[in-house]
Amino acid sequence: MTFLIQQTLIFAVPLMIVALAGVFAERSGIINLALEGIMIFGAFVGVYFIRTVQQSGGFMAAKEANNWLALQGFMLLAMLVAAVLGAVFSLLLSFASVNLKADQTIGGTALNLMAPALVLFLVRILANQNTLQMAEGDAASWFMLRKTTFGLARNAEVGFLFDTFLNRVYLATYICLLLFVVLSVLLYKTRFGLRLRACGENPQAADSLGINVYKMRYAGTTISGALAGMGGFVYALTTANCTANGDVAGYGFLALAVMIFGNWKPLNIAGAAVLFGLCKCIAAAYSSIDINGDGVFMLAELGISAHLYRMLPYIITLLVLAFTSKKSRAPKAEGIPYDKGSR
Amino acid sequence: MKKILALALALVMALSLAACGGGASSAPAASTPAASTPAASTPAESTPAAPAAPAGNDADAIDDNMTSADGQYQVAFITDVGQLKDKSFNQGTYDGVKLYAAANGLSYKYYQPANGDQATDDDRYDAMKAAVEGGAEVVVCAGFMQEAAMRRAAAEFPEVPFVFIDGYPLSDDAGNSLTNVAGISFKEEQAGYFAGYAVVKEGFTKLGFSGGGGGTNPACCRFGYGFVQGANAAAAEMGVNVDMNYSWEYGASFQASPDLQTMITGWYDQGTEVVFACGGSMFASISAAASATDGYVVGVDVDQSSQAEEGVVVTSAMKGLSDAVQWAVAKVYDGTFSEIGGTGTSLGVDDNAVGLPTATWSMTNYTVADYESLFAQVAGGSVKIDDNYENLEQDYSNLTLNIK
Repeated sequence: MTFLIQQTLIFAVPLMIVALAGVFAERSGIINLALEGIMIFGAFVGVYFIRTVQQSGGFMAAKEANNWLALQGFMLLAMLVAAVLGAVFSLLLSFASVNLKADQTIGGTALNLMAPALVLFLVRILANQNTLQMAEGDAASWFMLRKTTFGLARNAEVGFLFDTFLNRVYLATYICLLLFVVLSVLLYKTRFGLRLRACGENPQAADSLGINVYKMRYAGTTISGALAGMGGFVYALTTANCTANGDVAGYGFLALAVMIFGNWKPLNIAGAAVLFGLCKCIAAAYSSIDINGDGVFMLAELGISAHLYRMLPYIITLLVLAFTSKKSRAPKAEGIPYDKGSR
Repeated sequence: MKKILALALALVMALSLAACGGGASSAPAASTPAASTPAASTPAESTPAAPAAPAGNDADAIDDNMTSADGQYQVAFITDVGQLKDKSFNQGTYDGVKLYAAANGLSYKYYQPANGDQATDDDRYDAMKAAVEGGAEVVVCAGFMQEAAMRRAAAEFPEVPFVFIDGYPLSDDAGNSLTNVAGISFKEEQAGYFAGYAVVKEGFTKLGFSGGGGGTNPACCRFGYGFVQGANAAAAEMGVNVDMNYSWEYGASFQASPDLQTMITGWYDQGTEVVFACGGSMFASISAAASATDGYVVGVDVDQSSQAEEGVVVTSAMKGLSDAVQWAVAKVYDGTFSEIGGTGTSLGVDDNAVGLPTATWSMTNYTVADYESLFAQVAGGSVKIDDNYENLEQDYSNLTLNIK
């Protein structure tokens, strides 16, 4: 059970935060198809930052001394760098779609095509291979929280809650959950959030009340880029052992599906992300999942083909979208460049 | 205003690219010497019975890319699927190329067939052709998947010697033996046997095997079958029963992946103690899973102990890739290539070409002396190891095999 919860969280949290990134852009009226590209770019930037700092000898002393607070700080710094560069990357999209009034779908697609090529190009220059790795050690030994981190013995008896939520987890997961809550409140309970959403529903009305639609759309897309960049790095850190190779396994697109399935609402998105995370986890580890702890691996013993488990996340995506898309309600003005002259 | 903004954005893009480029030149230079020094000092102490494979370590100090004055490269290397710097098969083979070339003042270059994991025979052939046209006097090709491409290239360039690592002798379409191809293979089942025997003797009873190539790569199949036999033999001697998870899942392209990491994390979570990571870059995912769950790993092809956190790698099932390449390339340059051209050479314990790394030994219950006596028994023929991996699924006396 512990294993199932932990692995589900690891897969679900990047999806959740990137889907929220999509919400911020779309609520302000910009379709951010570039989530995948920004994730790829953010993952690269974060890993490159960690690698460079390690190579220059930074935080080596902290690692030697097992100073986990400093190491977690290092990780947060990398998340921040990925977020900032993700935001910068998304400026390309905002510029094209706000200032140039270009087609947002095309703009996003262009970024999606550009990001993997650019990242692969840079990785080949930097590392002389297709994958950028940490310079020293692995993600778990540097950044993972576990019993030994808190001064307990490796085999110390701890309760179920501690074992599930504080042992063998990444702080990044919880930071993302916290950000998810804070930003959802921002979107729904503050003046800024209301204005942002207004620009995605009826920008003309918002403008007539003195809200600068262009600024709001820039703000929405920039927050979106920051979250997607950070989500990309968190994905690379927690699931891919802190490596970047110009690929996030379609998580950006999956996040778009989660956003649509979640009807552009944070709570629904959280639920949808957990569902997909669970399916991902089952797909990869169905034969080791012991749900009630009695030593019987039910999923493996059902006799269902392994291929079916592998397909599960994608089948669920198709099914769920087929059944829910009728009810889905996108922001009204999304995808339409705002033109002051047209009323 | 718009124009200024456009200009600024363009500048940001250009500058960020330039900044990344600047970091590139300094970063690798800083890392390589530091990483290689601790390992480089050890091989001198290795015992005579141990294979000489760890000598490959100081190859890290030789640059992967060299520029020759005339643009011609004498020793060419064609990579297998997976990455050049996989810290395993490709890298170990290329180390041999670099060491021989550097020691003899030759120029060298590696060629990665286009399209990565989806490389076709045409892509591999193109890489070989580029190598020959780039002035190659010998072409070293890694991996049995190069067969079709090499058959075509070797027939087309009969004067260029090809060294086929993990390979076998080839013949052209008319059935004539291609005398410019030297097939070199290893008795991986022996290396796997040593590793399997060692970990069970060390006290592990729940083992795992995660192999690359989806079960179609003969080298990985032999490693795995040897590992099973070794574990069973040790368990029988100790009178214990051993469980082994045996899987080819997520290894088809020899790459690290989140899915592989999750699957192996699941194994460790369910009690598996040590996993044999048999496939190049897959090591990264498996060692990450081990590091996260306090598990252990057995490395493959080269001594991988320095590639994970200290203590995670129990031992490595090695084959002397670097030595074999140097030996074969030397035959090209001293004019004796005809001895191995057109034939297949299978290297094993008798040639000191397979074994475990004694210089970085970390096991305590199973000692170097125990290993050396087993090594002598295998070399002497008193311990028989089956190399026909078709027999994998049989009833073992002390081992339960869970093929996943």
